[in-house]
Amino acid sequence: MNTDWSRRRFLRTLCALPLLPGCERLARRDLPVSVLWAGMEAGHALRDGAPLPLPRETLETGVLILGSGVAGSACAWKLAREGRRDFILLAGPEAGGNAAAGEFGELRFPRGAHYLPLPSLESAHVRELLADMGVLQAGVGDLRPWYDEACVVHAPAERLLIDRRWQEDLLPHAPAGSDEARDQARFLQSMEQFKQAQGSDGRRAFAVPLALSSTDADLRGLDQLSFAAWLDRENFRAPGLRWYLDYACRDDYGAPAAGVSAWAGIAYFAGRAGQAADAQPGAVLTWPDGLNPLLRHMHEVGVGAAGGRWLAGHALRAVERGNRMEVLCADGQGGAFLVRARRVVCAMPLMVATRVLPDMAALGFDPARDLPQYAPWLVANFLLEGFPAEMPGAELAWDNVIYGGQGLGYVVSTHQQLRVARPPQTVFTAYVALSDQAPAAVRRRLLSLDAQQLLDEVLCDLRLAYTPIALWRHVRAVEITVRGHAMPIPLPGFLSNPGRLALRGADDRLLFAHGDLSCLSVFEEAAWWGYRAALKLLA
Amino acid sequence: MSTGPSYDRVLVVSVFVVASCGLAYELIAGALASYLLGDSVLQFSTVIGCYLFAMGLGSHLSRYVPEHLVLSRFIEIELLVGLLGGASAALLFAVFGWASQPFRGVLYALVLALGVLVGMEIPLVMRIMNQRRAEFRELVARVLTFDYLGALAVALLFPLVFAPRLGMLRTALLFGMLNAGVALWTTWHFRAELATTADKVLRGTMVLGLLAGAFALSDRFTAWTEKGIFGDETLHAETTPYQRLVVTRWHDDLRLYINGNLQFSSRDEHRYHEALIHPALQALPWARTVLVLGGGDGLALREILRYSNIEHATLVDIDPAMTGLFARSAELVALNGGSLSNPRVTVVNADAGRWLENSQQVFDAIIVDLPDPSNYGLGKLYSVPAYRLMARHLAEKGYLVVQSTSPYYAPHAYWSVVQTLREADFHTWPYHAYVPSFGEWGFVLAGRRADFEPPKSYRLSMKFLDAASTALMFQFPPDMQAVPVQANRLNDQSLVRYFDQDWQRSIR
Ligand SMILES: Cc1cc2nc3c(=O)[nH]c(=O)nc-3n(C[C@H](O)[C@H](O)[C@H](O)COP(=O)(O)OP(=O)(O)OC[C@H]3O[C@@H](n4cnc5c(N)ncnc54)[C@H](O)[C@@H]3O)c2cc1C
Repeated sequence: MNTDWSRRRFLRTLCALPLLPGCERLARRDLPVSVLWAGMEAGHALRDGAPLPLPRETLETGVLILGSGVAGSACAWKLAREGRRDFILLAGPEAGGNAAAGEFGELRFPRGAHYLPLPSLESAHVRELLADMGVLQAGVGDLRPWYDEACVVHAPAERLLIDRRWQEDLLPHAPAGSDEARDQARFLQSMEQFKQAQGSDGRRAFAVPLALSSTDADLRGLDQLSFAAWLDRENFRAPGLRWYLDYACRDDYGAPAAGVSAWAGIAYFAGRAGQAADAQPGAVLTWPDGLNPLLRHMHEVGVGAAGGRWLAGHALRAVERGNRMEVLCADGQGGAFLVRARRVVCAMPLMVATRVLPDMAALGFDPARDLPQYAPWLVANFLLEGFPAEMPGAELAWDNVIYGGQGLGYVVSTHQQLRVARPPQTVFTAYVALSDQAPAAVRRRLLSLDAQQLLDEVLCDLRLAYTPIALWRHVRAVEITVRGHAMPIPLPGFLSNPGRLALRGADDRLLFAHGDLSCLSVFEEAAWWGYRAALKLLA
Repeated sequence: MSTGPSYDRVLVVSVFVVASCGLAYELIAGALASYLLGDSVLQFSTVIGCYLFAMGLGSHLSRYVPEHLVLSRFIEIELLVGLLGGASAALLFAVFGWASQPFRGVLYALVLALGVLVGMEIPLVMRIMNQRRAEFRELVARVLTFDYLGALAVALLFPLVFAPRLGMLRTALLFGMLNAGVALWTTWHFRAELATTADKVLRGTMVLGLLAGAFALSDRFTAWTEKGIFGDETLHAETTPYQRLVVTRWHDDLRLYINGNLQFSSRDEHRYHEALIHPALQALPWARTVLVLGGGDGLALREILRYSNIEHATLVDIDPAMTGLFARSAELVALNGGSLSNPRVTVVNADAGRWLENSQQVFDAIIVDLPDPSNYGLGKLYSVPAYRLMARHLAEKGYLVVQSTSPYYAPHAYWSVVQTLREADFHTWPYHAYVPSFGEWGFVLAGRRADFEPPKSYRLSMKFLDAASTALMFQFPPDMQAVPVQANRLNDQSLVRYFDQDWQRSIR
């Protein structure tokens, strides 16, 4: 008998008792917790109309891309791939934006986006990028291309903690013949039909990118009600299914089913039609640091030796002067510089763009009407030494979700390693979309929290998955990224928002490229607008 | 009626012994339950709870013993406790070893019975002393003092002396004999008061003899019960951070189990290892370097080192405990010929996946002798990317051999390994051999060129292989034909599911 082991179990059981709530606090007392407020300082300074500094120097360029998120980087990548070099990519306050990553020593982890569904045929821009990276290895135009298996999520991909037991799959298991099982089957069948559905214009009903979807009025009617209302109408009422759909909406859009358009809710399922020759339908691509490697590749090509130029800093004011755009930029070290560019790609969030561009109204964009609502998110990375003891049931998966949990579960950064045994260290990334209150109220509350209180917020799920002792004896460090304006919420009516439609069409000195144009916060949409902007510039 | 200090002393000593025995049985039951079932907190709590409850029941029942029979009943109960408690560990081992289903039932029935009997002891002793008009205050104090002292003694001695020195089986028997001893001693002391003593002495002697006999034969018995659990007597058992290793011996048969699965039996491992190594190495007379993944028992290495053309072999096994054991234990070194300490060999303790990713070395042959793909972790090393990675370490004209479970019992799993190698751009030559302790076993030889021919003869002497049997190895009879299966891709690891389903279907 291994006595050490039984002693540990004993202690663990003791600490699981409600008698010892202080245990957890004690255990994490000396834990280093760092907090990143992504882009907040620069954003608030712009919002508050801080005085503009004088530029120390002036740069000339053909194209200036404002923002190094997925959209800006995709634009730079495509420009460089087509042989253009006369452009600058301005990083913005957070290089990489929502697809940024961090590292604990050798272990990289995501600070935002973590997976990419297999691209469908319509997502040719994503396929082109993946092929360029060598991730898509053959059959770039085929229905089922070959992918590098290192990046296709490895089994077991996901599990759900329900009734203190882990099950495989995220949809709660239901006994055959139960109402729950019937509703689940009916729902999946209905999504399968939407996946195949075409509008009268011959386009797929729910394509990714959204811009390639059918504009059939019948289908667009789904944008007039909330996803929850549509589910009620269609009589999908089983609680397990409804929890899962809420979870899916919170996970992709930062708001529950009642708070997003039915079109968006259905698109989550029907849009993901990508397949692979060497993976199951529904598989996703992922890396230890989430989607950051895609960004790194775009930077390597876009602003590498044969590409444009990378500049640190962020835009303060952009105005048209003669046949140039003049953009005043902060260099991030108290100084400022001016960039004169023939054309500018605005690849920053729209709420920032409205502060940097003095006259958005002239472009047909009325901030009061057209700015999306942004959902606040927390992303917490826990560095672990060894793995905590698990509850019974399915083994640790890549994505681990808690039924009824406040958060969106956690992913394991080392899951994709080709290893027989577990590595000595790993990172758990916990995601929390704060949708219980109005976004503005949540942001105010977040601002008042210190590191320990933020830690309490992001622990919501891990606390249910592990006993305090089991967890804290392994945690070595925590990093929390606060994203007050993490993603635009696709509210009902989002498809026909006039302001965002107007910005999509802009093709003069100023172009726009950002996920906000779709109002769907997914990689493919952001990349699409960056890619489109590049094509316009190349035309 | 006899009174006086000498009788009191007898009773007090009895209390001490009785209390020790009572606690000992409780500890034995708890320890055995957690040893055999795991989850020690649960096992100890339930066993102790059940035992204490039964003792309460016993105390209650003691009131139904009529006053004139108290002494006689006490002696009988002692004998019964001795018999039952003494045999408890043996009984539990035997039940677990031969039929694990009713184990919990037997465990709790035993704990209840023992608890009831032990619970009656102290009330009866008190009544005996009370009959001797001991002062109540004095009586309670004395009895309870020795009751608790006995418990303390055993609580300390059990984990420090008895369990490690004697083992559960003999500890139980020893305490059983003590109970019987108390019965006999009490009979002798109070012979004047007892109506009949002859029958008590006879029964006491029988119980004592029985337990003593069992004690003498306990070695045999342990071997017999562990045979039920592990197959044979265990030579070495260890839980490493990676796996549970058990080496057993039965006469001249040494066996290695990893996580309860047989890895080899020394009686027929030559069949497995000759089949694993020689078809490939016979066909590579120019080979100078070999990589072994897994195979920490050194037996595959032993066969490899027989070739004088092999200048160097690298063995990568994750578990230092495994390679350490097979490099040091005299019996095991005798079996692998000291291959792990051979100057031509480098042993690396690393995760094979990590090592393959980081190493630049190229080998003329690669032998993949990993445990079966029974979980996702192991399954990763049977995947298309893993074989692609191995291909990078294989000389252009070299061969890779993969031990790949049974094509007879686990056909889907076996052919999935073949399919996986093909998807990783290998040409494959599946083959199989009969290893009595495993049954029909499968291997896949793979190369980047389609040039392999099964050997028509062997340069080295073989115990098992010859030209005719080699030819048959590469043929698959009708009941072992290929089945249509998926390659093992990391996304769904179909191999792990095939393996599970196949083995569940066949009786293992
Ligand atoms: C927590 C989280 C998880 C997610 N998970 C996934 C996922 O798993 N899969 C998926 O497909 N999508 C996911 N998403 C969405 C995905 O991350 C985004 O759709 C995508 O990263 C958006 O890229 P973008 O370029 O449109 O915008 P952003 O990422 O917002 O990039 C904007 C860029 O502009 C810069 N900027 C800001 N202000 C200025 C300024 N004044 N001047 C210059 N530059 C400025 C910023 O620093 C940033 O570099 C997730 C999002 C979040 C927040």
